[in-house]
Amino acid sequence: MQRQEYNRTAIIMHWLLALSIFFLFISSWWMLSLPFPSEEYRYRVLPFQLHKNIGITLFFVLAILLYVRFKHRPAPITSPAMTPWMHKLALADHIILYITIFACCLSGYLSSAFSGWTTTVWWLVDLPDWGYESEELNVFFSEVHLWTAWILLALVSVHISGAVYHAFRRDGVIRRMLHL
Amino acid sequence: MDTTQSNQVNEAPFWASWIGILAIIFGIFLTAVHGTEVLSHVVYAPDTAAVHDIPIDCKEDELDEEGISLEECRLMGTTVKNVILSSPDWFRSFYIGLTTLGTIVAVFSVFIGIALVDYRSWIIKPAILTFGALLAIDVTAFLAVVNTGPLLRAMYLGDILLWALIHLIMTAALMAGYHQSENS
Repeated sequence: MQRQEYNRTAIIMHWLLALSIFFLFISSWWMLSLPFPSEEYRYRVLPFQLHKNIGITLFFVLAILLYVRFKHRPAPITSPAMTPWMHKLALADHIILYITIFACCLSGYLSSAFSGWTTTVWWLVDLPDWGYESEELNVFFSEVHLWTAWILLALVSVHISGAVYHAFRRDGVIRRMLHL
Repeated sequence: MDTTQSNQVNEAPFWASWIGILAIIFGIFLTAVHGTEVLSHVVYAPDTAAVHDIPIDCKEDELDEEGISLEECRLMGTTVKNVILSSPDWFRSFYIGLTTLGTIVAVFSVFIGIALVDYRSWIIKPAILTFGALLAIDVTAFLAVVNTGPLLRAMYLGDILLWALIHLIMTAALMAGYHQSENS
């Protein structure tokens, strides 16, 4: 019999994504208020490095989540509380959400790659400097990163609203992502 | 409705479902808030550039990239300077410790929320303890900030008070739910 809930790995990856995304939003609003980096001003070094590390990790976390979700699909939702338009909205929100997370992570990395700043993954491995220092590309990918982040925030809000709606209706939909 | 699914529905008391979903949402948000707080106090090290009024290197291309004015760029060291200079000696390490603890308990509260929605009857007592702990952390942070100066109070007290009220309400609601489930 097909499982009603999502696979355990998918559930863990989902909540890891949620925690990371909110941390990245809130910490980025703070870290962008720090003084520009220079020889003396080093305040941005740690937060930016951490931001990049979490972003890169998020990319792989989402890849694992998608792999597991497609490999172990739960049974379709049969609750009468899920009307056809809700199904469509949920599907569209999920697809756009995943694409936006990927785009946000990738644009952030590309912006960094063309900024001339080295990225060291979790202070252990230096990523190869395949990018060259280009102000134009750095600004372009920064803009993409910024706008995808705002879109992501809007999509996450829709996602949370849907989750809260189903939690209060207690129609079994929300439990699919909670039952470990 | 599918049989398996209908078996899952309505097992949890209504109060547990709504407290659970709020616990998950607030828990995720609070983890981010406390995590950022830890990071900020690690970064705001005493006796660093902002305190010595060293001019900030406001390059034109970076101003364009971040869409800020030269004046705004020059002011960016002010918050850092304010926090460093208005923090008593004990404050930084104390607040890093407290907010680290807050981050850990906030992550834990997400799992508590999950267990409340996906109802387990044994979860009520750990849930009360967790939200009680979060409330205790808020009260401690409030008292710590009250004992600093007006700049830090203006920066922190409002937010801490809001979180304390949220955690107070959650703890009280959980206790009411606990007594209700005991009576039934």
